[in-house]
Amino acid sequence: MNPIDAQVLALVTANARMSSDDIADQLQISVAQVEILLKSLETQGVIVQYTTVVDEKKLPQRSGKIKALIEVSVRPEKRTGFEAIAKKIAQFNNVVDHYLVSGGYDFLVIVEGDSLEEISSFVSDKLASIDNVRSTATHFIMKKYKEKGILIGQPPKEERLAVSP
Amino acid sequence: MKSDFSHILDTIPPSGIRKFFDLVIGAKDVISLGVGEPDFRTPWAIREDAIFSLEQGKTSYTSNSGLLECREAIVDYLAQRFDAHYDPTTEILLTFGVSEAVDIVLRSILNPGDEVIVPEPSYVCYTPLVQLAGGKVIPLDTTSTQFIPDPDQIARAITPKTKAIILCSPSNPTGRTIPKDTLIQIGKLAQAHDFWIITDEVYAELTYDGPFQSVAALPNLKPSTILLNGFSKAFAMTGWRLGYVCGPPELIARATKIHQYSALCAPITAQYAAIEAVKNCAKDVQAMRDSYKGRRNLFVKRLNEIGLPTALPEGAFYCFPNIRHTGLSSEEFALRLLKEQRVAVVPGYVFGLGGEGHIRCCYATGLEELKEALTRIKKFMKSLQ
Ligand SMILES: Cc1ncc(COP(=O)(O)O)c(C=O)c1O
Repeated sequence: MNPIDAQVLALVTANARMSSDDIADQLQISVAQVEILLKSLETQGVIVQYTTVVDEKKLPQRSGKIKALIEVSVRPEKRTGFEAIAKKIAQFNNVVDHYLVSGGYDFLVIVEGDSLEEISSFVSDKLASIDNVRSTATHFIMKKYKEKGILIGQPPKEERLAVSP
Repeated sequence: MKSDFSHILDTIPPSGIRKFFDLVIGAKDVISLGVGEPDFRTPWAIREDAIFSLEQGKTSYTSNSGLLECREAIVDYLAQRFDAHYDPTTEILLTFGVSEAVDIVLRSILNPGDEVIVPEPSYVCYTPLVQLAGGKVIPLDTTSTQFIPDPDQIARAITPKTKAIILCSPSNPTGRTIPKDTLIQIGKLAQAHDFWIITDEVYAELTYDGPFQSVAALPNLKPSTILLNGFSKAFAMTGWRLGYVCGPPELIARATKIHQYSALCAPITAQYAAIEAVKNCAKDVQAMRDSYKGRRNLFVKRLNEIGLPTALPEGAFYCFPNIRHTGLSSEEFALRLLKEQRVAVVPGYVFGLGGEGHIRCCYATGLEELKEALTRIKKFMKSLQ
């Protein structure tokens, strides 16, 4: 990737709402160049989606989502290995992240729901009952400290003297 | 008798920055472009090593010159990063920031009446500290060479009493860096007339358009060079108070003599933190540098667009817009901008000759605040028409 592409990508990764104007001025390129570049990264599928990091604690009571991290062990299938099973799991709306991992289990699946019950029933009715899923271990997330490289619940930053030499 | 204080001290006016600070403190909803420090916290790996050193009970004095392990780590870093080579046992002393280093270096070399050339506008501590050390400042106005010290002008200022020149590149307040050729020419003058080059390189890591040139890395100049650097800016460690001076053993021995009586040693926790900083934090420094560079580009371009002519500075995190066409003095401009639009900047006159007609803006502040500051400055400029 050329350095300008990489820098544009780094800026929108850190702040998806940064305007093309601001990106252009920071990188000393034209606004048109930024827009062409972003469009091409989008059509190539390099940029898949712009999302937001939310601190659910700050939302009004009960409107936040509940998240769990599920270790899934499977029996790989003839010919398709992990792929066919993975496709079945990843399609569920409750699944927000899904990875094949090395180590003691096969898939790390992160699911989200409105309540504990919703997630429990998703695990027992949908996930555990898929053919060739051998076992699951569900860990409910109790507190979020950091997401996508961003610390959650940090105190505000400005402690500097307003004028200094 | 008690009412008779130090006479030299009483001739030195209080810092113009201090005066402005007192005004800003009372004001509400102010966006400050008046700061002189990073807007990052110290990288966590550095803080964590400092905490670990405390857990290990490392709370004693260190040797006067600083922990050998820390001096070695810094010397290795200077060699790798800037091609400046020093002996960790005799050619480096750890100090309370570059601030203490400036003070004790001047006190080590100056006798009453010795002259120190200071290209201005310059960082605010040089002149008072020269005076307190009994020296005489020969200020040079660098306006006509776009704030880059001019070897011809320096040559004309040299007298038999010239003991040193103080260079600061990248510069506070202008952000300009001194090109290699110019440094070589100044170096020739220093060798021919046998005076010191005191080079304050505290912003060396914050150079945006090419590699940084240390004076200490120029051929044959090491014996004439007193290198000052520190952790405040590059590693976002202003509050830790750690800097260092590198130079010939005979100079370091003398600076150490003062330091042992007036400071004893630099803070030990900061020294342990510094080891991690120079050994393992190049990536953090790079990320901060990239971030400042983007803000510099945006802020300086837009200052020009709203009618404040501003040269693109090569380093540090300051720019130095020209405000002469507004007809206001730098102090009036800064005071009115603060009062009418709640943006704090530092009036240029506080930085000495050539500073008048300019304001210093620090862009080490969030992008949204910078944009809001630009909006307010634009309104202010409109109101002047
Ligand atoms: C050019 C220059 N030198 C030295 C210092 C002081 O640095 P330290 O924190 O290392 O004492 C500053 C701080 O603003 C500076 O701008």
